[in-house]
Amino acid sequence: MKYGKLKRTAGILLSAVLLLGSLAGCSGKENVEPGASPQGNGNSTEGEGGEQAMGRFLEDDVKLPIVFSDIFDMRKLEDGTIRVIGNNGDDGSKTVWDSKDSGVNWEKAFDIPAELEDGENGYVDGAALSPNGQSVWLYNKVADGGVRCVLYLLDQNGSLAEVPFELPAAEGKNITSSSQPVNTSEDSGDGAEGDGSISSISNLVTDIMFLGNDQILVVDMTDKVFQISTEDGSTKRTYEFGATQEACQFYTAGKKMVVATSTEALVYDTETGEQMPTEEALQGSVADSGFFNAVDSTDDGESIYYLTGKGLFHYKFGGSVMEQLIDGSMNSLGAPAFYPIALAMLDEQNLLVAANDENAEAAGGVSLLKYTWSADTPAKPDKELKVYSLYNNRELRQAISNFQKDHTDIYVNYQAAMSEDNGMTVSDALKTLTTEIMAGKGPDLLVLDGMPIQNYMEKGILKDISAVLADGEGKYFENIIKAYQGDGGQAYAVPARFLIPMAQGSSANYTPGEDFDTFTSKQGVLSGMIPEATVEKFWYSCGAAWQKEDGTLDAGKITDWLTKLKNAYGEYDRLQEESSTTYGISDGGGAFTQFQELSLSWGDFDLAFGRYRVNVGLSGRIDYGQLSAVNEKLEQGDYGLMPGQAGNVFVPSMVLGISSKAAQPETAEEFVKYLLSPEAQKAAQFGGLPVERDSFLSVIDGHEYEGKDNWVSGGSAGANADERLSYKMEPTPKEEIEKMTAMAESLTVPALLDDVIKDAVIEQGTKVLKGEAAPEEAADAIMQKVNIYLAE
Amino acid sequence: MAKKKWRGFFWILPSFSGVAAFYLLPYADVVRRSFLGAVDNRFAGISNYQAIMGNTAFRLAVRNTIKFTLSCIPVLILLALACAVALCRSKYGGVIKSAFLMPMALPAVSVALVWRLLFHSQGLLNYWLEHLGLAGQDWMNGKSAFWILVLSYIWKNLGYDIVLWMAGLAGISENIYEAAKVDGAGEWKCFLHITLPNLKPSFYTITVLSFLNSFKVFREAYLVAGDYPHESIYMMQHLFNNWFRNFSFDKMAAAAVVESVVLLGLILLLQKTWDSGAE
Repeated sequence: MKYGKLKRTAGILLSAVLLLGSLAGCSGKENVEPGASPQGNGNSTEGEGGEQAMGRFLEDDVKLPIVFSDIFDMRKLEDGTIRVIGNNGDDGSKTVWDSKDSGVNWEKAFDIPAELEDGENGYVDGAALSPNGQSVWLYNKVADGGVRCVLYLLDQNGSLAEVPFELPAAEGKNITSSSQPVNTSEDSGDGAEGDGSISSISNLVTDIMFLGNDQILVVDMTDKVFQISTEDGSTKRTYEFGATQEACQFYTAGKKMVVATSTEALVYDTETGEQMPTEEALQGSVADSGFFNAVDSTDDGESIYYLTGKGLFHYKFGGSVMEQLIDGSMNSLGAPAFYPIALAMLDEQNLLVAANDENAEAAGGVSLLKYTWSADTPAKPDKELKVYSLYNNRELRQAISNFQKDHTDIYVNYQAAMSEDNGMTVSDALKTLTTEIMAGKGPDLLVLDGMPIQNYMEKGILKDISAVLADGEGKYFENIIKAYQGDGGQAYAVPARFLIPMAQGSSANYTPGEDFDTFTSKQGVLSGMIPEATVEKFWYSCGAAWQKEDGTLDAGKITDWLTKLKNAYGEYDRLQEESSTTYGISDGGGAFTQFQELSLSWGDFDLAFGRYRVNVGLSGRIDYGQLSAVNEKLEQGDYGLMPGQAGNVFVPSMVLGISSKAAQPETAEEFVKYLLSPEAQKAAQFGGLPVERDSFLSVIDGHEYEGKDNWVSGGSAGANADERLSYKMEPTPKEEIEKMTAMAESLTVPALLDDVIKDAVIEQGTKVLKGEAAPEEAADAIMQKVNIYLAE
Repeated sequence: MAKKKWRGFFWILPSFSGVAAFYLLPYADVVRRSFLGAVDNRFAGISNYQAIMGNTAFRLAVRNTIKFTLSCIPVLILLALACAVALCRSKYGGVIKSAFLMPMALPAVSVALVWRLLFHSQGLLNYWLEHLGLAGQDWMNGKSAFWILVLSYIWKNLGYDIVLWMAGLAGISENIYEAAKVDGAGEWKCFLHITLPNLKPSFYTITVLSFLNSFKVFREAYLVAGDYPHESIYMMQHLFNNWFRNFSFDKMAAAAVVESVVLLGLILLLQKTWDSGAE
């Protein structure tokens, strides 16, 4: 009895402890917001919803003194001066600039000696700054059929001295190059073109950086690092990383060398040459946030600041905590076309980032940004706008980055459901989305690409956003932007971009404007192409013609389509398919947007060098230079709309819709307006052409090449390294701009965007092109699946 | 007396609360939704029921589900019974019984992968047929898909049903058999007049469980052929799955109510048959 009481009391006490423990576990969970406290300077205020973390780095553009086509390095020197070295975008000269007031005013430090400007005999391939303002320049001298890497040291005042260092030949590596001009890219505009050919390269320097003021780290093409003295060029130590599976990046912080891959960071003490113990917190952070883009240190290497695509991080060596100071998703640091070159920490609350930014307003694409700590700004904005898409959308990421820069009170939470990492299918993603929307936790703005748009419109999932379009009357291609507009003028879905199904070929094989029947009557005109991609491309140009008034599909038209497509494709030859450059690119996973695998430009080399008779594809970014180069190569080549059963078809992309259950409908409308504004529309990343007319012209007119007569572009085909397509990058001729604009204006029929039908068509269509199924049999199989889907 | 009556209620209260929270209330919500619009929740009367009755996808799914149930369950029950009787007589019955249970332990994803490997148009089965000089076919995209599904269901559930039958067989007293044999009854007569009548209670349980397990075959069908398989294996679960994805909650709720009423009716009918047999 006595023990019974004891047991009961113990049971009650244990239950109470469990209950209290679980309750305690539910409360007081503290989330450390990125940037909430740079070195403990953050504070907090009592907001409506409780305590709110305050303090965030805000981004500002800094005006550079000249147009840089490239920046080699930027550093805060020991005396507080900010020094920048790079290429002058106007004349290609090398230049050094200083600012004494954190980037407000700039003055040229000195002129670069003639040895480094000698474009006749070689080119500068990189440079780095030391803490006291010296700089080391890597000059690749082209002579005797080879390349010799020469290091020049410029002191603080611009006096030149050669570092007596001879780069040893790389073991087991010898690049034998074709007899192509050395200079074929805009970066190396030093004029070495035509100076002969390079027959053999025994080794190359891929990176250089200072280690203090008197030593340099030189990285060769095998990832071997030479620690050399600037004084006599002697090699103090070497480090080998050639056996590492992943690409390495090298940085210095004080006397430490940091070697980073996408998954780990190794730290070496350069005074002893020993690898330092593994820093757990640093490893964990690298594994989580990926490659370093730029590194700096403010305390002689006791700690490092580094940039990744996820933002700015700070780590004190030996510590157990990695601090995220800036969340990259809230500014330019997370933008897809933003590639940081150098980071200069001015102090703990101010920093400068120099970057190559494809969408920068600055000419040359190089921008300088300043981040300043603002103690009064909430660490995370109060308003959260949830944006959702199935596929990753680079234009959207770019726009989010710019939008947040101007709207510091809005946090845009973008979720792309499908990625290579999560292996999610469209169906799974849509089911999750359905659950979230119905639970009231769904996104505010939907990018409807790949989603059943008509179904969402009919079910009332989307909100009418015609009011957003009313402001821009006349500014857009009305034929495109009103693709989903109802008879009553309601617009539940609006395409912010579009792709044009296009074809290119010689006059013998393709005539712009010809119809599908005429085109496909030419037997074998599509031979050698990848069957899946070919079916998908023609699905876009033809699918819309199969739909009957009651929404079902016309089986007869599908059979006819498959029969004609097979005639145009001819016999399937796997070897011929695999020999194409297009196959090589797609097999290598080269696409980073939803439509890129179907891009017209992927088939350029195959068309130009005779592996394709006609090239077809979707154009979301028209590169006139390349189009015209292919036309010239073909002799009597031309381009136009892709022949299709529907005629004048366009593929709507980045189709925007606001959820009728959105928590932030006004903010979502504001963001939609922004996405349709010229600022967002001009950002082109292969995802589609702008629907805004001025932006469309700006994207196709090649204005960025005006006055850049020396800019030349080229490329080599994967199938054969000797095949090159060189052309001048110059503004698009007026008549071509008019032709392209007329083509965009002529588009009237939105392509059928239904992934279920598309998947059935591609599966069966591929079998037909490969000769595994007859057109009638394949059409029956398509109809069988599609009928069930449509009946649902 | 009244106090005693309420005491019983308190005993079932915990489990009744669970059933109410996780089954009865959600079911009531489904019934409510079957009379409302999909997203706007406006009253729609019986239009959702009318819509599903006129829906060809629904009719196809119902037809396939009935066909599948009628094809599988009798075969499974009889085969399992035959195996159970044979195993009961074998001295290795225990070991072989465990082997029959193995398919149940295999994850559906692994089974689906083996299916794909075997029945793909360029899979192992066609490869073997080709070696034998026979023509292969796209097994999962033809009428054969249905029979593959039937085979898979029987293969997976046979062991489970054997165990249930064997439990039933173990419950029959040996004395009855001995008495019958003394009276001159042979094996077949013993089976017909002793074994079968004594297995009637097990028969009810096995039928209901096999019937409910037949719905689980969707996992394999979905993993192999996705949302839109060949029309012969397009089941009710495919339809529900696709309706959910497309926000067709109205039709989904109406179909769920119809299906649950039919299932309940069938189970009650089976129970009534069993009860009348027991009397």
